Amino acid sequence: MEALQHLMGGFATALSPLNLLFATIGCILGTLIGVLPGLGPAAGTALLIPITFKLEPTSAIIMLAAIYYGAMYGGTITSVLVNVPGEAASVVTCLDGYEMAKRGRAGAALGIAAIGSFIGGSVATLGLVVMALPLSRFALKFGPPEYFSLILVGLSLVMALAGKSLTKALVMGIVGLIFSFVGIDPIEGAPRFDFGITPLLDGIRFVPVVMGFFGIGEILMNAEKSLASAVVEEGKVSSFLPRRDEWRICASSINRGTWLGFFLGLIPGTNSAVAAFMSYAIEKKVSRHPEKFGTGIIEGVAGPETANNSYANAALIPLFTLGIPGSPTVAILMGALIMNGLTPGPLLFSQHATFVWAVIASLYIGNVILLILNLPLVNVWAKLLKIPYNILVVFILVFCIIGAYSLNNSVFDVGMMIFCGLLGYVFKKLDFPLAPAILTLILGPQMERSLRESLSLSQGDYSIFFTRPISLVLLVITAIIFLTSAWQALPSSVREESKGAQV
Amino acid sequence: MTTVDRISWSALSLFGVFVIYESLQIKYYGSDFGPGPGFFSFWLGVLVAALSAIEIVRTFGKRVPLPADFFPTRSGVARIACLLGALVAVVFLLTRLGYSLTMLLFCGFLLRVLGKQPWWLTVVLALAGSFGTAYIFRQLQVILPGGWLGM
Repeated sequence: MEALQHLMGGFATALSPLNLLFATIGCILGTLIGVLPGLGPAAGTALLIPITFKLEPTSAIIMLAAIYYGAMYGGTITSVLVNVPGEAASVVTCLDGYEMAKRGRAGAALGIAAIGSFIGGSVATLGLVVMALPLSRFALKFGPPEYFSLILVGLSLVMALAGKSLTKALVMGIVGLIFSFVGIDPIEGAPRFDFGITPLLDGIRFVPVVMGFFGIGEILMNAEKSLASAVVEEGKVSSFLPRRDEWRICASSINRGTWLGFFLGLIPGTNSAVAAFMSYAIEKKVSRHPEKFGTGIIEGVAGPETANNSYANAALIPLFTLGIPGSPTVAILMGALIMNGLTPGPLLFSQHATFVWAVIASLYIGNVILLILNLPLVNVWAKLLKIPYNILVVFILVFCIIGAYSLNNSVFDVGMMIFCGLLGYVFKKLDFPLAPAILTLILGPQMERSLRESLSLSQGDYSIFFTRPISLVLLVITAIIFLTSAWQALPSSVREESKGAQV
Repeated sequence: MTTVDRISWSALSLFGVFVIYESLQIKYYGSDFGPGPGFFSFWLGVLVAALSAIEIVRTFGKRVPLPADFFPTRSGVARIACLLGALVAVVFLLTRLGYSLTMLLFCGFLLRVLGKQPWWLTVVLALAGSFGTAYIFRQLQVILPGGWLGM
């Protein structure tokens, strides 16, 4: 009941003409990012942070959140129409969406994707409303040791789920942590890793790193092949509704996709692509005609698209209640919150209730805006793909430069972005996952502060982490995650041998 | 393990050693109880160095072929060098020439040399990417460097 009252207040703020305008602009820009290949939601959201600099915090975050879930939907359009996924989560939509488009059913594919996204997103937001207050109140019991252990759980999940190699994910997580220690030590004020370079005393900011890793790094990868992309022809879109006999099948797929996306969104380290791929696999498994998947059947679009957007909204729950971002894009939102003087976590709900509930309400509104806005504009978005990549890339770089510079009016940040771009390119070539480094870069200072405050509390006694029940449970969970991942990383022959020995 | 892997893991273990060395220059213990500013980074350096060393030892002698397209072609390297060169030039010119002029040169170079666009389109797009974006972002009250000419 209390949450409902807060939510109503949130709607009052979010529905103010100005915030509504920012949510609409955010949805349009987000869809644009999603539509354009080579610019994922993470780099895209980071790129557009400067636009929100002069806005008041609520409007700024409403706009950035709209960009975030707009990008999730934008990727669908190009997947269906031209078989070009705008972002990773939309890859799976190509399988059946594009086949549907080839049969002249692009409208139905896009329609069901929009409806599924709307339902998935709305249910996940409802979940946020229901879970926000109890979770944040529970999190108020957390002291520094619990926070340290909680961050460890989050990071271990991120590393365990980040890629093919646990060692590579671990190393990337540690590299991110080391990057986060550059600058003035938060407790004693001692300079670290500054090498006599004054701007490094302020630390390494996450925006240049994200834009470098995901923006410049991706462009360098593409530049290896060719920057000239073929001009694509978009399919014609007419009716947006599925056939009558398809509604029942779609309802089940949307239902499954919603819950799958929601639960995956709560787990740090997963991403929307995992939600989409898992949903596709589930749909195929429960289908009466799995052999038809990939030939253009509607549940192959409905399930993954719903899971994708449900995930995007649910991923905000751990951010708002616990201050733990689950994916790089959510980490960027966290960075934007911090830049606006707001610390994500349980205190956000008590100290900045108006703000947080307005943002939650704006998620509902954003889902409606996306539904209304995107279907009629589908053909307009598809035309954007006719812009050659070698022109597009120049403008992406211009935006990257503006974004990095305007953060602190510092050319040093532009240089840092270029350096991280080169680093990101090398890491991508070597198949090192980038997400753990971004998350640890954001969480590093908080993690170090929690560790050192805990040890100050216990007068240097490490048992503080094991004698407090919540912290102990969280550490046990961390250990289980690591041990499971390490076990899975062992070659199958070693695992079989070990099982044989037990028997 | 490929030679590339061996080089990359060796570089990472060296990075770990470097972090350990740098951390030892900072206080390991804090002024009150518990760790100091160099504590966390010291152990993280140890972890990077150890994990890299373990990975080198674990995969020693195992031959894994590199993906066929791992090394870019000569023209690919030229394109990457062009992009990076243009970006580094921006860093040096941005505060001297100002945002608009630097971006005019940057966009013009990339559109003409890498994009192979006709002159008229290069000029139009470079003007949009430089003076156009400067106008829009200054309207949004984003501060951009003016340089010697104040542009």
